[in-house]
Amino acid sequence: MTDFWLSSAWLVPLYPLAGALLGLPWSPGIIRRTGPRPAGYVNLLTTLAAFVHSVLGLLAAWGQPAQRLELSWLQVADLTIALPFELSALSLGAAVVITGVNLLVQIYAIGYLEMDWGWARFYALLALFEAGMTAIVLGDSVFFGYMMLEILTLGTYLIVGYWFNQPLVVTGARDAFLTKRVGDLVLLMAVIALYPLAGTWSFSELADWAEQATLSSTTAALLGLGLIAGPMSKCAQFPLHLWLDEAMEGPLPTSILRNATVVPVGAWVLIKLVPVLSLSPLVCQVTIAVGAITAVGSGLIACAQIDIKRVLSYLVSAFMGLVFIAVGAQQAGAAFFLLLTYSLAMATLMAAAGSIILTCITQDVTQLGGLWSRRPITGLSFLIGTLGLIAMPPLGGFWSMRSLVNGLWQAGDWGLIVVVLGVNWLMAFGLMRAFALIFTGPVQVMSARAPEPIWLMVIPMMVLTGLTLHIPFILKSLALLPVWQAAVSSAGLLLFWSAFMGAVIGYLLYSNRQRFQPKLLPQWLVDLFAYDFYTPTLYRNTVVLAVAALARLGDWLDRYVVDGLVNFVGIASLAGGETLKYGNSGRSQFYLLTIAVCVVLVTLFMGWLYLPVPLGDL
Amino acid sequence: MQLEYYLLLAAALFCIGVFGLVTSRNAIRVLMSIELMLNAVNINLMAFSNYLDPQGIKGQVFAVFVITIAAAEAAVGLAIVLSIYRNRDTVDMEQFNLLKW
Repeated sequence: MTDFWLSSAWLVPLYPLAGALLGLPWSPGIIRRTGPRPAGYVNLLTTLAAFVHSVLGLLAAWGQPAQRLELSWLQVADLTIALPFELSALSLGAAVVITGVNLLVQIYAIGYLEMDWGWARFYALLALFEAGMTAIVLGDSVFFGYMMLEILTLGTYLIVGYWFNQPLVVTGARDAFLTKRVGDLVLLMAVIALYPLAGTWSFSELADWAEQATLSSTTAALLGLGLIAGPMSKCAQFPLHLWLDEAMEGPLPTSILRNATVVPVGAWVLIKLVPVLSLSPLVCQVTIAVGAITAVGSGLIACAQIDIKRVLSYLVSAFMGLVFIAVGAQQAGAAFFLLLTYSLAMATLMAAAGSIILTCITQDVTQLGGLWSRRPITGLSFLIGTLGLIAMPPLGGFWSMRSLVNGLWQAGDWGLIVVVLGVNWLMAFGLMRAFALIFTGPVQVMSARAPEPIWLMVIPMMVLTGLTLHIPFILKSLALLPVWQAAVSSAGLLLFWSAFMGAVIGYLLYSNRQRFQPKLLPQWLVDLFAYDFYTPTLYRNTVVLAVAALARLGDWLDRYVVDGLVNFVGIASLAGGETLKYGNSGRSQFYLLTIAVCVVLVTLFMGWLYLPVPLGDL
Repeated sequence: MQLEYYLLLAAALFCIGVFGLVTSRNAIRVLMSIELMLNAVNINLMAFSNYLDPQGIKGQVFAVFVITIAAAEAAVGLAIVLSIYRNRDTVDMEQFNLLKW
């Protein structure tokens, strides 16, 4: 019977899809009398079914070799596009994480969206995300993955634009769609270019192909750069990172989902492509450079934000930068490990942030304070999420970053180790700064009366906290952890100290605001970080400016040159008619003259052509 | 080389007729110019009949017909001029330009 759950695991994406369709009738325009709540409950049930199915499949897949099955999608001429599924412990484990986080987020959203009417749309989109993400992790084809990534891009557009009567939501949704779309399109180029080279789109066959592929270095480099461009935009890496900041305008439960699972799913495709990327050393270096720049830059930006959601969203970019570093260093195992520990810790952090926002209304951390005594559960969750994200033993973040640093240590990449340690310090500093600003210090107006929220939000938050706390035990039972003695290596110690120092310094600097106003950097530098290196201005002055200028030029050419040319034909005919009509003078003598002249001309012409004797001889 | 002279004379007369036809302002003189052109044609017919067809003289028969038709045509033409004159009180060709564009 267990085998049945494994072999039918490809059904997992279909449950949430069914839920989305079943919930949609409770849109306010269709069922007018009941209110929107049944849509949420229906989706909760289907997500639960998907979760249970994934768990049963994972139990069945445990210790088994990966099962593969294929659905034929399209067969034209000599091209066969199949949708292969790989049902392994890894992919089902990812499906369990995705459906599990989705389940918790959907319960959380029942509490968070208590005062909202748009549940049908909201839950349908959450379900679309769940379906797309599980399809990506269970699928085994880069083409299939690309399709799902595009569907998720559309989903992002719709869900960021959920409250579309707010102007910032509309611009945020626009940027999220376009930025991710650009990356997807470049990814499509690479995916199309991959097929003639490899003859397959299946990840496992690509790995076999990459082992004996003989590509010119240029081809391999271009291919690899195209393949990382998609995940670069999906994972909000520099310079395609602005969308994640603006996507924080969407409803908070979706932000939990986005930060914890949707963004990592872009990295999933990247990690699966490691064998292809490793064909070109240049691509690996670019991946590392992008990851390192993003990690350091976003870490700095996160330390200077005052919006709690944006503090966390830049940390998403920073952590995904670490994943990019792991991928560039060809440590696929460490990258998957990073994703697992990250997604639970980040979900905990975002859930805690939402719990604060719902009752305190403001998202500005400088207007919050002194919540620890009255919000212990949220405070604990935030703290544990923080410790789980940064490299603080014995929680998950430590082990995953340690496996990355260990790999770098063996390869002797000292520069990258310094980067990872620095990013770790920055993340610890930024998170503890936010913690200190929100939970310690004097109570401010906005946080004067702040109760813990409804149980529907507290329970998922606590479950996520518990999961973050239990990751070491889970990892231990999976034999993914080294023995404790081996952990006390110099790499582990360095990680611990960087996280510890960042956290302690961040806490001490910001916990006592009334007596001490920390002024660490000159104002212009703080502004530079707070305004995200002025990325919107950068976009507006480069790409947007160029495309807008080209569009205006194209519009002008179409309006005046192309249209003008065609209109000129018409106008010329009109003008010809208007002027030539004056040949009809109305005077019969003029007509006679015309006839006479024409007869003379025709005679001359005919004589010239047909006279037997040349005129010269006459 | 007698024929050419006749032909040249006829052509000259025809050209004078054409000139009178397109320049005269008086409608009657236009009719007279037409008569000139018809006479130029008649000279042609007579000359060809004399030099090229002295036995059959079909040209002379043609000329008789042309003279006859010319007379009829002049009669009709004068009648038209008269009827226009009755309506518009003038025979100036420049006044008859109502049917323009």
